[in-house]
Amino acid sequence: MAFAAPENPSRVHRIPQSKYIDAVRWLLPVSALDRFAAVAYYDTDTNSPSIEITCVDPNPQGSSPTLIPQSSWTPSSRISSLRTAHSTHQPILAAATFSGSIHILAPDLINGGTVESEATVSELGFHSGPVSAVDLREGGTECVSVGEDGRVNLVSFVGDSSKLSYRRIFDANGLVGYTAVKWASPSEFATGGYGFGLQWWDQRRPGGPVSQFKGNWCQGKTSGIVHSIDIHPSRKHTCLAGGSSGTVFAWDLRAQQQPIVLSGAGTGEAPISLLSESEVWEVQYDCYTRSSNIGNISSTRILPIMICSEDGILAVIEQGEEPLELLAEPCAINSFDIDQQNPSDVICSLEWESIAILTRS
Amino acid sequence: MPGVSSASGGGALVPISPESQAAAVYPLHHGLKSPISRLSISWSRGNSLRVSVFAAPSSVEDDAGGTVVEVKLGGGDGEISDAHWRRIAYGSVSPFALLQSRKNAISSLSKMSTNSSPYEADWWDYIMEYSKDINALLGNQKPASVPVIDDPKSVIVKGEEPTNLKAAWELLEMFYAEKPSHLCLPERLVDWLADFDSLFSGTHPTVHSKLVDFQKELVNLQVVEDNPKYWEVMSSALAVGWLDIVVKMLRLHGSYQLDQLSNRETENGLVEAVAVLISKMPRMRLDQEAGKLGECFKAKPDFVKAREKWRAQINKLDSSAFWFQCAHLQTREGLRSMLQIMLGNANSLCSATCHWIELYISHLLYIRPFTVGLESMYSLAQKIIQLKPMASSHRLMGLIIGILGENTEVVLAECLKGFGPWMVVHAIELLTAGSDHAEMLLLEERPNLGGINIEELHRLVYAQVLSSHPLTWQIAPIYLISCMKHGMVLLQILLSKQPVQHNQLLLKSIEICRLYELHSITANIMKIAGVHHWKHGRKGSGVFWLQQARDEYRLNRIAQQLFDSVGKTISDESFKQWEGLIQLLGSDSKTAGGLEFLHKYRDFKKSLQHVFDGKTTDAARQAVESLISLMKNPSTPQRFYLPLLFDSLKLLNWKDRPLLNVSQTNLLLTKLQDLSLARLRPDFIESELPPQALNSVRLALATNLGRAILEE
Repeated sequence: MAFAAPENPSRVHRIPQSKYIDAVRWLLPVSALDRFAAVAYYDTDTNSPSIEITCVDPNPQGSSPTLIPQSSWTPSSRISSLRTAHSTHQPILAAATFSGSIHILAPDLINGGTVESEATVSELGFHSGPVSAVDLREGGTECVSVGEDGRVNLVSFVGDSSKLSYRRIFDANGLVGYTAVKWASPSEFATGGYGFGLQWWDQRRPGGPVSQFKGNWCQGKTSGIVHSIDIHPSRKHTCLAGGSSGTVFAWDLRAQQQPIVLSGAGTGEAPISLLSESEVWEVQYDCYTRSSNIGNISSTRILPIMICSEDGILAVIEQGEEPLELLAEPCAINSFDIDQQNPSDVICSLEWESIAILTRS
Repeated sequence: MPGVSSASGGGALVPISPESQAAAVYPLHHGLKSPISRLSISWSRGNSLRVSVFAAPSSVEDDAGGTVVEVKLGGGDGEISDAHWRRIAYGSVSPFALLQSRKNAISSLSKMSTNSSPYEADWWDYIMEYSKDINALLGNQKPASVPVIDDPKSVIVKGEEPTNLKAAWELLEMFYAEKPSHLCLPERLVDWLADFDSLFSGTHPTVHSKLVDFQKELVNLQVVEDNPKYWEVMSSALAVGWLDIVVKMLRLHGSYQLDQLSNRETENGLVEAVAVLISKMPRMRLDQEAGKLGECFKAKPDFVKAREKWRAQINKLDSSAFWFQCAHLQTREGLRSMLQIMLGNANSLCSATCHWIELYISHLLYIRPFTVGLESMYSLAQKIIQLKPMASSHRLMGLIIGILGENTEVVLAECLKGFGPWMVVHAIELLTAGSDHAEMLLLEERPNLGGINIEELHRLVYAQVLSSHPLTWQIAPIYLISCMKHGMVLLQILLSKQPVQHNQLLLKSIEICRLYELHSITANIMKIAGVHHWKHGRKGSGVFWLQQARDEYRLNRIAQQLFDSVGKTISDESFKQWEGLIQLLGSDSKTAGGLEFLHKYRDFKKSLQHVFDGKTTDAARQAVESLISLMKNPSTPQRFYLPLLFDSLKLLNWKDRPLLNVSQTNLLLTKLQDLSLARLRPDFIESELPPQALNSVRLALATNLGRAILEE
């Protein structure tokens, strides 16, 4: 199928690393000059994971930007999910591990990026098995974690965030496994799991999900797993999800059981643009809107989104338009992050031990 | 495999072999206090050995009885790190795959038309593109940036450290991929040596190392022309054709200095004359890099003419009378020996160069610039080797001899020995590109290799190397599918052996299966994953994967286990836990296996809830519909008959009118009868109900039957 060609080709720089990259996130900058990213590495030769704070030097004279490592921190096991948020004066990182623990890091970007305070939840019974996803609330005072063990935990920072306490919101006893989570508001969040199922939770109404988006809606076709969820702050009623078989769909809470399929396994009626047939690892709303501003887009229309996939595609999808392919790599793009301050910049982690930095023009 | 135990306490495991020069010693840090009684060694992933160390039974209670350590065997090539090798492996996937698909396209096209010549030109372009892509992976040879202010005393510019691997690839490229430029091979070799002479410095004296040494001295020298080394180094550099360096060094000559120019005029004239002659040296090459010295000629007649003229000029200068007016002895001697080199004096060349490749290059430059064809180049090389015998060889030297001797087996063996399986696999593409002989040799099926050819053998070996690393196994399939005989089977084995614990890895394996349409492997992997998740208590994940694999057998099996917990927990409050699983099962009974029951059970429970909430007869009717459909359904387990009926006692004893008609009541009675028979079987599981449950159900059913008959 034909893709819309980018009007202005963007600049891409691939920076080889010598370790596998599990996750990569921009950190909100503290000053206008420096730009930082957090990278979760995994060294297969020594079986050692690490989280590194790196300074991204755009290197205006040279040909490509460089990553200058600032500081490194060693978690107890490999990172399964990494999220960032901005607290009062510094960025906060939440890292979930395969061994079922959560670590909160607060790198001090002004003084060389040293990881300042850290707190950990790793008690027995917090999660059994890996934590599959974690999300930090904006402001960084709470985070929610989910796992395939069916547990949904709310981790709160006590006092100066050097201590953490957690509260079990729900335990499905493994009958349901959750693979993705995202805050919608200070009290609401959405989770995703097997069979393209989504759940909506409200802390004010405990005891289980308040609303469910039925799994297995793509009847007869192969079902899949939700890998990533995003919710736009101005559209809290719409839950965007990406998962297996190139599927990207949105669930509008007002139209309960009808998915808005943006790409991939459709309901079989209209030919939906098929961008990729493999796993969509991450979805994010793309705030880099070119002409139309958000206010003009009707509230039923899905805002532009960016996806990355196992077959190496990084693309922007707009409802009802041809997808715009930004990158087509020979290997998988496992995660990406759009810089909230400079939305033209995207950082991606590639399967073949490298990081790509894309600057749209 | 029990081994010989070493001395206790951090002793070394020494593979003793007096003849072997490279006996490697790997210290083991096992940390055991008591003496070691046994060792067991096995291969671990990649080139790691897993050594299990067993301690002798010790009297100390808390002492560990043994430990397992992994010993990583040396990565062979010191100049390229493991991570760099992986980067090369990743990068070579795309060029290799592209070339294979082009090869397939061409071979299918040439099958259709007998005349294959239209594709010939394209073919060489493809090969060259492939070679350039691979070459680019191996590092950038040229210095990254030219300094703005040129330091007159910096004779050699230090670029990126060259590697033997790149040097070897460039050799292969110039001999096998650049077919049309065979005429210019000698000049290509000159360039090659200029880039890579430093590689020989480790084991042999080289012109490059001489230059590096002299560079260090140069800073402290006041009068360079008095130093004999100055002249010696220049002669050597001239002999191997590094004209730029020689001219630059000549200009350091003291006579150029303004204060001396007047009284050393003749001397300076001679130096400048030699410098001009050097920079005007005619060279037979296709293109000249900007800033490089020498005059280029593309056609042979022009070159011959220019060369004769140039030599005549040298001879004229050599016999000129100005030499007698040159007072400075070193300058006179040095310059004249340089003229001898340019005139091709064999003795001068031999003494100016350090190892045979340098001498060979100098012969190609100054004595036999018209050498064409590998045969004559090879015979020249053999002669040169006799002139400058070497105590030890270098892996690049072996490769050059193999290439010049047109001996494909030797080239392959040198590639394998010196550079490993990656090199062999990717070099074979170049070797077979233009040579029918090599193609025949490498593609001939060999019974002693199990019916496969040499090309496939090496690809399989390389794929095995890739498979043994958790990060590179994903690119092994690219090489495996290019193996006609055994590739597919090995790919299936590789995929079946991948770990399934984590969804991301599992999905990556499944994606590869999808690409190569290995549907049965996909199903197998999913089944393994399903059972794994199930066993670890992640029931939802387990059911999902078994459903994806359409494994009804296992779904039915785990359904039986699920029902056990259903009987206890699906009461009222914990229903929310089950809700998600039931939704996952969906309404498609084909993929749900025996779990379809759960779906119906949930519906029944829901409608029953409505009845108990005090809803109308309509709700009760709905509940009865659910009950009947449950009881009719063959997937409903027998042990649920009684609890279901007991739960619906209220429906059976409905006040207003009987809710069940005669046939429905009869159906329920029959089921109850079945149950009574089943209870006699030893494997029957009794439900946890009050003892009078059966009787009350019987009574209710009988009453209902009576009322129903009356009503009809």
